[in-house]
Amino acid sequence: MAEVAVRNVIKKYGHLQVIHGVNIEIADGEFVVLVGPSGCGKSTLLRMIAGLESISGGEVLIGGRVVNDVLPKDRDIAMVFQNYALYPHKTVAENMGFPLKLKGRPKEEIAAKVRKAAEILALEKLLDRYPKQLSGGQRQRVAMGRAIVRDPQVFLFDEPLSNLDAKLRVTMRVEIKELHQRLKTTTVYVTHDQIEAMTMADKIVVMRDGHVEQIGAPLELYDRPANVFVAGFIGSPAMNFVRGRIEARDGGAAFVSDHGTVLPVPAGTAPRAEPVAYGIRPEHIDVRDGGISATISVLEPTGSETQIFAHLGGDAINAAVRERISARPGETVPLLIDPARVHLFDDKSGARI
Amino acid sequence: MRSNTVGWLMLAPTIAILGIFGILPFIYVLYVAFHQWNPFGANPDMVYNGANNFRRLVFDGEFLFSIGVTIKFAFFAVLSEIALGYLLAQLFMREFPGRGLFRTIHTLPLIVAPIVVGSVWRLMTTPSIGIIPYFLKSWFGYDLNIGRDAGAAFTLTVLMDIWHWTPLVTLTLLAALLSLPKEPFEQAQIDGANRWQIFWHITLPMIRPAILATVFIRLMDALRTVDEVWMLTSGGPGAATRYVGLHIWKIVFPKTDYGYGAAISVIVLYLTLVMCWLLYVALVAPRQKKQEAE
Ligand SMILES: Nc1ncnc2c1ncn2[C@@H]1O[C@H](COP(=O)(O)OP(=O)(O)O)[C@@H](O)[C@H]1O
Ligand SMILES: [Mg+2]
Repeated sequence: MAEVAVRNVIKKYGHLQVIHGVNIEIADGEFVVLVGPSGCGKSTLLRMIAGLESISGGEVLIGGRVVNDVLPKDRDIAMVFQNYALYPHKTVAENMGFPLKLKGRPKEEIAAKVRKAAEILALEKLLDRYPKQLSGGQRQRVAMGRAIVRDPQVFLFDEPLSNLDAKLRVTMRVEIKELHQRLKTTTVYVTHDQIEAMTMADKIVVMRDGHVEQIGAPLELYDRPANVFVAGFIGSPAMNFVRGRIEARDGGAAFVSDHGTVLPVPAGTAPRAEPVAYGIRPEHIDVRDGGISATISVLEPTGSETQIFAHLGGDAINAAVRERISARPGETVPLLIDPARVHLFDDKSGARI
Repeated sequence: MRSNTVGWLMLAPTIAILGIFGILPFIYVLYVAFHQWNPFGANPDMVYNGANNFRRLVFDGEFLFSIGVTIKFAFFAVLSEIALGYLLAQLFMREFPGRGLFRTIHTLPLIVAPIVVGSVWRLMTTPSIGIIPYFLKSWFGYDLNIGRDAGAAFTLTVLMDIWHWTPLVTLTLLAALLSLPKEPFEQAQIDGANRWQIFWHITLPMIRPAILATVFIRLMDALRTVDEVWMLTSGGPGAATRYVGLHIWKIVFPKTDYGYGAAISVIVLYLTLVMCWLLYVALVAPRQKKQEAE
C-alpha cells in the first residue's frame, strides 16, 4: 500500500495539451474517484499514473518515489480496463495467475493465490473457462481478480463498469466498495458517472478539459460546490440555475431573475451589482403553502418521489418531492425554496460567492 | 423443401464450374495415372497398366530425391519468410519517417510474375555477367557459380523465394497485428512482461490463426514451385534444384511420359494434403480439443 501524488502534471500530444497542471494528493488506503465528462482527460491522467502514457511535465509519485521514468511493471500497480483486457487464449486461472507466473513464482503458490482471489470474487467454478465463455460481469470480476492476485500498492480502474447493464453496475459498485474496505489498497477509480463517484469515493476529483475543478469528499462537493460546473455535475437530478441579480429588499436582499422572478437568498447575503447564477437543487424545493406559485409543465412520478418540471414566470425550474402530487400539467403549485440551501455563483467566472 | 431446391439451383452454376474446371481434370489425371501412355513412345496408345506407375515411382531415385529437396526447399523458404515477414510487420507497426513509402515499395515483388522474377535473378547471378557474382568476387573473393555449385544454387532458389513472397507474409501478419486490441498488451506491460514474454505469451497466441493460414498458403505454394526455379537454375546443377514440380514437367514435356507424370502428380497432391494435415493436427487440433473440453 502506498500514497500517490500527482504534482503539476501536464500532458501534451504534440501541440495539443490535454492535461493542464493537475495536483492531487492521495493518502494511503484512500479510494479516490476521478470524475468528469467524456474527453476531460481522466483516462489520460490514470494512464500516466500507470506508466502507459509518458508524462510531459510535473511529477507522479507512488509511495514517495518519483515514478516518471519507471516502467509500468516496476510501479507495483494493477489496472482494470473498461473492456476487461483479458487474455483471450488463457483460462480464467491462467489470466489471474499470469502476473505471478511472470515473476517466476512456484506453481503451488500461484494456484493458492488464484484460489483465494477466486473465493473472494465467487469465481471458483469458472477457473477453467476461457474469457469468451463468460458474461460481462464475470469478465469484469476476473479482471479484478487478476488485480487482487498481484497484491499491488495501488489499484487503478478505468471506467470498469461502463460496459455492464444498469443493474449489474449497481451490484458491482457495491462489490468493489466492499473489496476496498477489505483490502484497504489505495485506489484510483475513473468514471464519468457522478453517482458512481458519489457512492464509492472517499474523495472525488472533478475534472473538466484537463483541469481539476474541485477536490473533496462526496458530501462536501454536494453541499459546497466550488463553481457552477461542479454544482451542475454533482447531484441527480441536476441543480437548477437561474440567471439574475441580487437586489436590496425589505431591509435584506433577494434574488431577482432576468425574467423578474423573485427568489429567496441565504440570510446575510449582500446585494451585488454583477449578475449571478442562482442554484437550487430540485430536492431542496418543496411543494408547500406559502411558496411561489409555479405552472406545471410535466410531472414524472417514479413512486418514491415525483419530479415536477415547472415554470416560474419565464424561468424553468425542476423540483423533486417525496409526496405524490395530485395536480395536473397546466395547473399551478406553490414551490417553497429553502434559502439556506441556495448556492450563489458569479455569473461570469462561475465561482462560488 | 421448396427453399432447399431454390438454394441448390442458385448454387448449381458454381458447382457446375467447379466440377468442369476442378473435379473433372482431377478425375482425368487419376485415370491417366493408371495407364501407360506416351504418344511418342514405342506404343503411342493409352494402355491400362494398373498400379505399375505407382510401383515404379516408389523405386525411382530421381523422384525420391526431388521430393527430398522440395521439402528442404519449402522448409527453409517458409520458415525464413514467416520469421522475416513477422519482423517486417512489427517494423511497419511503428511510426517512422517514410513508413508509407517503404511499405509500398516492399510489396512490389508480389506483383512481379514468377517467370520474370526467375529471369531477373538469373541475369543477376549468371557467372561473368551478373552483378552479384561480380561483387561477391571483388568484395569477398567468393566465386559464385550456380551452374556448378549445388549448395549455392539451392541457397539462391530459397533466397529468391524469400525475396518474392515475404511481402505476402508481412501483409497478412501486419493485418493480423493491426486488428489486435491494445489493452491486453498494456495489461501485460503492467503485469510485468518483458518484450520477449509479451511476444511469446500474448502476441503469438493472438495472431496464431493468421500465422497458420499464412504457413499453409506458403507451404502449398512452395511445394509446387516451378517457373521461378526453372528460369533461375533449370533444376540444376545436375538435379540439385529439380523440385518436384520441375521433375513432373521434365517427365510430362520432354519425355512425354503422360501416365507416369500423372501418377507423380497424384502422389504429390496426396503428400501435400498429408503434410498440411499433419501440420494442422500438430498445431491446431490440440488447442481446439482443450477449448472444447469445457
Ligand atoms: N493519443 C492521443 N493523441 C491525441 N489526443 C489524445 C490521445 N489520447 C487522448 N487524446 C485526447 O485527450 C483528451 C482526453 O482524453 P481521455 O483522457 O481519454 O478522456 P476521458 O477518459 O476523460 O474521456 C481528449 O480530448 C482526447 O481526444
Ligand atoms: Mg476514458
